[in-house]
Amino acid sequence: MTVGSQMPYKKYIYIFLLISPLIAMVLSLLIGKFAIAPGDVIRLVIFNLLAAETSYPGVYHTVIFEVRLPRIFLGMLVGASLSVAGAAFQGIFRNPLVSPYILGLSSGAAFGAALALAVAPQFPVQISALFFSLVAVGFAYYIATSRGSTPIISLLLAGVIVSAVFDSLLSIIQMAVNERALQSIVYWLMGSLAAASWSKIYSALPMSLLGCAVIFLLRWRLNVLAMGDEEARSVGMNPELYKAVFVVAASLAASSVVSVVGIIGFVGLVIPHMIRMIFGPDHTHLIPLCITFGAAFMVLVDVIARVGMGFEVPVGVITTLIGAPFFAYLLRSTRSGGWE
Amino acid sequence: MHKGSVVAALLCLVLAVSSACCGEVTIKDDLGREVKINSPSERVVFMMENALKTYYAVGDPQNIVALKDDKWMRKLLEDIFPVIDPDFEKKLTVSVTGGSVDLESLAKANPDLVVLWATTPDDANIKAIEETLGVPVFAIFVRSIDDVIHQVDTMGVISDRMERAAEVKGIMHDYMNITTNVTSSIPESERPKVYWMWTDVLGTAGVKSGINDLIELAGGVNVMKFSENETAMMMEHPVVNLEMLIKLNPDVIYMWYNENLDPEDILTGEDFKGWKDINAVKNGRVYEIRNPYLFDAFSPRMPLALLHVAMDLHPDRFKDVDMNKTIDDFHVEMWGVHYPSMEKA
Repeated sequence: MTVGSQMPYKKYIYIFLLISPLIAMVLSLLIGKFAIAPGDVIRLVIFNLLAAETSYPGVYHTVIFEVRLPRIFLGMLVGASLSVAGAAFQGIFRNPLVSPYILGLSSGAAFGAALALAVAPQFPVQISALFFSLVAVGFAYYIATSRGSTPIISLLLAGVIVSAVFDSLLSIIQMAVNERALQSIVYWLMGSLAAASWSKIYSALPMSLLGCAVIFLLRWRLNVLAMGDEEARSVGMNPELYKAVFVVAASLAASSVVSVVGIIGFVGLVIPHMIRMIFGPDHTHLIPLCITFGAAFMVLVDVIARVGMGFEVPVGVITTLIGAPFFAYLLRSTRSGGWE
Repeated sequence: MHKGSVVAALLCLVLAVSSACCGEVTIKDDLGREVKINSPSERVVFMMENALKTYYAVGDPQNIVALKDDKWMRKLLEDIFPVIDPDFEKKLTVSVTGGSVDLESLAKANPDLVVLWATTPDDANIKAIEETLGVPVFAIFVRSIDDVIHQVDTMGVISDRMERAAEVKGIMHDYMNITTNVTSSIPESERPKVYWMWTDVLGTAGVKSGINDLIELAGGVNVMKFSENETAMMMEHPVVNLEMLIKLNPDVIYMWYNENLDPEDILTGEDFKGWKDINAVKNGRVYEIRNPYLFDAFSPRMPLALLHVAMDLHPDRFKDVDMNKTIDDFHVEMWGVHYPSMEKA
């Protein structure tokens, strides 16, 4: 199938979505609380690319290259990773309600973060969140696997069980800690890009890239998996093997970013749906567009989070407030959300 | 001084004194509710640690029958409670689950007064305790330094020890004066702009907060005072973003005790490269409240917190102050205990 073959204008939307991260990046780079004229921003970026000296105050350089750019790139990484992981999980589970957090990843990460924030500060929050998010997914997969087979329904239920256990453990920590520690936990749970830095990007990048790359390279197999295990076997594919590969890849991608920015909801659920509603369920197009549009969506939403109000709003709150009405509009204007 | 707090304090005293002869008094709590209590209340349950410190400075420890079950918190407390009150470890405990007080364990303590933290008169715990158990509740809601001092009067009424309460207030004022006698004469131009960093790093103190009072008394000025955004300025706990902070450009960053972060991280950490053009970072002026229990600004130890901050803001003006001796003297006068040896004075 080619994109332009059905409706000609979709070709332009397709191209627009592919280049959307660039548009979002330029827009986001020009907007901020620290007023720098757009012309100065552009000149500084060009001079920096050419390694030329400038007469601009040093603080301009810091704001653009140490504050805005890390935040933009981290936002892109988060948006792309969560969207791709969401698309992969929705394909494996053949279920439109699935998000990257279906196997208890977010509950495990939240517990890990709370543990480091309030109980064992000697452990870095990011590492603790990453460790427990992967433990949660691994545990869910272990519970669901029986005699070499991992039925989808068992995996879903195992995810519910693991999430419930980690949510309960998180509640115990929240009840026992002091108010200030509780405040830190709650803020982490809401998800934010406010603490973005190059070092955080570098720490999340390898696992995120690995997870996204695996899903991207094997994306056509998701089309086969989405038809069911029997159909997959009939074309010579081992569904158990590929389910495991996609679960691991999606979990790595999502865990790596969640451990850095906290739990940002809705992106992993809604972006794949938005793309699917416009271009249909073919993962060969769905996955690359989830990467680009997920990245652009997150960066644009973060612009609102950082300059929309007088104070910093957790970006997870804005993703839902912006994403939900747009999602509702698309849902009403397409049949079955693109699943048929 | 906040006018509202002064009026509330006077009203509280008037109401209390007017009926003190009868044993039962009517006082106004921090939420403005009129509460009828026994003076002295002889079976008091404390559901918050700060007010307990104040009570121990004023009242009879024997009149406390139960405390909030705060096991993890207590492990962290290097504190004087067991020295002041030999029965401290034997007190009943009342748990709080999901923000709700366990009424059954509270009933077991058979209290005649419960002291707890609440921010609104409609607080579910207040209603549950008063309506279900028929026990009066005194709500504590501290928003300023004046509220901390006013709390001493409250504990004086609850324990029927107004004279000791006056003494304690005198001690607090004396120790505050060590700081304010110096800082009150500092001209505006020499007051550093201070960014207060709560544990969420970009969360700070608004201009209508107890921390704002603390910064001003310590000879600084809250950097949020210069925020162009009035909404953020007026919030008790605004969350700024880094660009806004760079624009505000504080001279000093003062961190609340943070187990996950040290001033060194802000000054040289990889995650804080975006902070390098802020004056406080450029000049190495990032400080931390090193002991959150000893330097607790919302308890009777507030004068120590004040001195601690002032000494960091203006080291040259306080070079003759012996902090360790001041801390020890303060504890002896307030609770009759040496610090940090924890020996009875």
